[in-house]
Amino acid sequence: MAGLDPIPPVLLARAGKPDSVKLAGYVADGGYVSWKKVLTGSVSGEWTPAKVTEIVKASGLRGRGGAGFPCGLKWTFVPPKERRGGKPVYLLCNADESEPGTFKDRVLIEQDPHQVLEGMMLSSFALDVKHAYVYIRGEMWKGAGILNEAVAEAEAAGLLGKNILGSGMDLDITVHRGGGAYICGEETALIESLEGKRGHPRIKPPFPAVWGAWGCPTVVNNVETLSCVKHIVDRGAEWFKGIGRNDRNTGPKLYCVSGHVEKPGVYEAPIGIPWEQLLAMAGGVKAGRKLKAVIPGGASAPMLTAAEVAGVPMDFDGLAAAKSMFGSAAIIVMDETTDMPKAVTNISKFFAHESCGQCTPCREGTPWLNKALKRIVNGGGKRTDLDLLLSIANQMGNGMTICVFADAAIAPVLSGVSKFRDEFEAYIAESPAADAVLPAPGGITAKVADRMAAGMHD
Amino acid sequence: MAKVTVDGRAIEVPDGANALEACRAAGVDVPHFCYHPKLSVVGQCRMCMVEVEGMPKVQASCTVPIRDGMVIRASSERALAARNATMEFLLINHPLDCPICDQAGECKLQDNAFDAGLPVSRTSEHRRLVPGYERTEIGPHVVADMTRCIQCTRCIRFCQEITGTGELTFVERAGHTFVWTHEGKPLDNDLSACAADVCPVGALTVKEFRFRKRVWWLDKTRSVCDGCEVGCNLSIEFKDRIVYRFTPRVQPAVNDYWLCDYGRFLSERLNEPGTTRPIVTGPGGEKRETNWGEALDAVKAAVDRAISDDPSRVIVVGSARLSTEENWLLARLFRDSLKVKNVEFAVDEGPPRRMKRGNDWVYGTEAAPNSRGAEAAGVRRSVSGDGSRLDLLLSKKNSPPAVLYVADASLSDRVSDPAFVALLRAASVLIVHARVKNALSEAADVVLPAANQSGKEGTFVNRDGRVQRFDMAIVPPPVVRTDLEILLHLGKLWGAFDTAWTASDVFGRMKGSVSGYADLDWNSDDLVGNPPSASITSAYDVLGLERRPEDEVFTRPSVTAPDVKP
Repeated sequence: MAGLDPIPPVLLARAGKPDSVKLAGYVADGGYVSWKKVLTGSVSGEWTPAKVTEIVKASGLRGRGGAGFPCGLKWTFVPPKERRGGKPVYLLCNADESEPGTFKDRVLIEQDPHQVLEGMMLSSFALDVKHAYVYIRGEMWKGAGILNEAVAEAEAAGLLGKNILGSGMDLDITVHRGGGAYICGEETALIESLEGKRGHPRIKPPFPAVWGAWGCPTVVNNVETLSCVKHIVDRGAEWFKGIGRNDRNTGPKLYCVSGHVEKPGVYEAPIGIPWEQLLAMAGGVKAGRKLKAVIPGGASAPMLTAAEVAGVPMDFDGLAAAKSMFGSAAIIVMDETTDMPKAVTNISKFFAHESCGQCTPCREGTPWLNKALKRIVNGGGKRTDLDLLLSIANQMGNGMTICVFADAAIAPVLSGVSKFRDEFEAYIAESPAADAVLPAPGGITAKVADRMAAGMHD
Repeated sequence: MAKVTVDGRAIEVPDGANALEACRAAGVDVPHFCYHPKLSVVGQCRMCMVEVEGMPKVQASCTVPIRDGMVIRASSERALAARNATMEFLLINHPLDCPICDQAGECKLQDNAFDAGLPVSRTSEHRRLVPGYERTEIGPHVVADMTRCIQCTRCIRFCQEITGTGELTFVERAGHTFVWTHEGKPLDNDLSACAADVCPVGALTVKEFRFRKRVWWLDKTRSVCDGCEVGCNLSIEFKDRIVYRFTPRVQPAVNDYWLCDYGRFLSERLNEPGTTRPIVTGPGGEKRETNWGEALDAVKAAVDRAISDDPSRVIVVGSARLSTEENWLLARLFRDSLKVKNVEFAVDEGPPRRMKRGNDWVYGTEAAPNSRGAEAAGVRRSVSGDGSRLDLLLSKKNSPPAVLYVADASLSDRVSDPAFVALLRAASVLIVHARVKNALSEAADVVLPAANQSGKEGTFVNRDGRVQRFDMAIVPPPVVRTDLEILLHLGKLWGAFDTAWTASDVFGRMKGSVSGYADLDWNSDDLVGNPPSASITSAYDVLGLERRPEDEVFTRPSVTAPDVKP
């Protein structure tokens, strides 16, 4: 499997270098070559937006933000110029990295901001974008500063602005800091937030490619996705496709490994390497302890037990086959010392805190799950609680809400409770309320029920 | 039009409708909270879930645009399960204290819980509290209690989209989300109390009505606002001869679903004590209460005497606050039968009121509901302003009128102005119909106690020439008569009228001679308007569908309780 052979770092090639954030260093390492190549080529007709889109499509690049939607395909959903009615197209770089366990975008932004910018520039060329935005999470103030400096440097060097390098193309990039809400990583909530409204996901359709920021066609791509675009235009689709497990999972990928491992951090590897290989890169389970469970794609991915995760290729399809989710490749490793009920409770607290509050099932369901879980781990559980938890979770997801936040919020609860039920039951067994029963239906007393049966309930 | 099937029933709905409207038009009542026919669709309460063929997941029906050939299953097991789920989620944090909540009885949450909810509770957690945001006045007319809020955002959208003032917003996030005003700014706009109307629960309630009467005791009568010339349709809600409130009646041609604060709180005026018995003034100037016979005879004697002297010294004043029928009788009796030349009315140019109809503001500058009707009935409109013809007539210093007959002592807000009263009082004999005691009725020689708006029926013509009927809510107190009856009894003394006539009889008689009334029918839908409850009619109004009697009855799919584990 040649695609999975170790590769020299691509996205992280410049990470850690002194002055890696400066334009001079980036250019010295071969940066902005593609951008200049495409712009000068666009004058001669050698490079066209369609050509860039075709290359990205051919590379098989799938969105790195979580859903894994083919990037080139997403771009083709933007209506052609004649059907846009004069509306501009916006490119939004989604840097609202908030999925628990994910920290790859921060590394890219803080270590190599020009790589992200060049990816955005090339994508903007492909999409006929005149104004692109980076929506960066509010807490990442350092990254925002670095990006702003990088944008200023690029503008000063004539790589952004009006009529760039005489090509006739205009492009501005604005860095917009969010307020630090998890939901603003959802693309329509991000758009609402960028517009200055509350970060509430929109009803889809219409999708952002048709009706996005300020009602204009909009493409939202993740930081890592856009960074990949730069390298795809640099080295060609074939090179990108040559990396990875198969045709549907291509390219280098950043893995955020955290939890009980010896060396937590961001690792770059061909997408689709087996679980064991990734664990070995991170130094193995901490202190040689036994693995208990893995959350393979951020807190919203169903957790896998040690047996389930064995041999699983760490990519979109491999984890989908294992009934979990690759998500943002945030791998949280939990060893045998982990108290699973407490871990699940902790995750549910996050989701109860971060729900936008728009849809009833999510707004009311996430705190309910959290309250019930907290009660269990605090020693007040009832035997009926576990089925109740599963039942609540099941009636929150699968189309009950506008966005998929609720589906994300229930995944750890459903997988945690069903896969580690014995641990929950152990907590409940010690609870004095273990055998308490639910209140009678509707609080109707036997006396009232008798009266109703006798037709006297008027 | 698109053909849609709802629960096996085929129906045609206009393009652009959504699945929820289609369901309601098909007679299937899909419960909902955040959907409102006049507000944008947000699809966030997740109550109106249905199954749509070809869509794998359950859908919030309000967010699904209709396609031709769409098949909707509104009562399938999955749809019901989804709605039960939403109901359960809404109720885990909502206080279950309906007995002490003033919304009870007109609460959508309560209704839907009864009809679509389950008789079980599976929660044993503490309910959400919103300390500091309970039972607080957030504006001059609205009291907010955020423990009851179900976050449907109707009020927020109302303030953004209808009034355009945007006072309300979501505060906080997730399970703590609640609605409040932007920092320190009160909820104060022309239609602010409508924010409480659109609130499906008891989170926003009207300050003036709160805890005054349980809504299920209220009787409701169709009426028309007499605050200005817009003529908003409203419902007088009353019990035991006390009017408790006005609520808007749906009327897309006039006021949509709204009622302005000014008009809404005129309701209190109907509870003001009026004159209870006719009053006449004796030869020595002493006033005494009497019976109708003596009072009307006194009127006839005074008018006859004055006419025989000089008909031009009799002045009759109609009113834009009286119905067209009453003004018509006035004109018939005095102008046609008694040949009095001066049958006039003047109308106040009030502070402009405004109403949102569709996307536009509609302005009412006249502070009376029926100037057009009075004019059409043959009462001459005095040119308004300082140089009012009426004022000039009255102020003929050399010959003040011998008889001044004012058919409505509340004809103008100027009656509280002593100078105006003095002007009228200059007449040798001043006769008034009085619905309330005011400076003018105190000054009059003959006072004929008349019923107020809640005690009579008739028609008004609004600024757009639309004829609208208002009905009697409360039978006037004993002895008090409607203006119509007073005029009929008076007319009988001269042999002009028959006292057995009702308002609809008068309407029928005047139809031929009053412009704008020719083709009207007293009982037509146009005149009568919609019934007080908006819920049944809304789908038809929105879709512009013809109402069919069989559609009025909605079928509620039956709900079975799930297995409850002990």
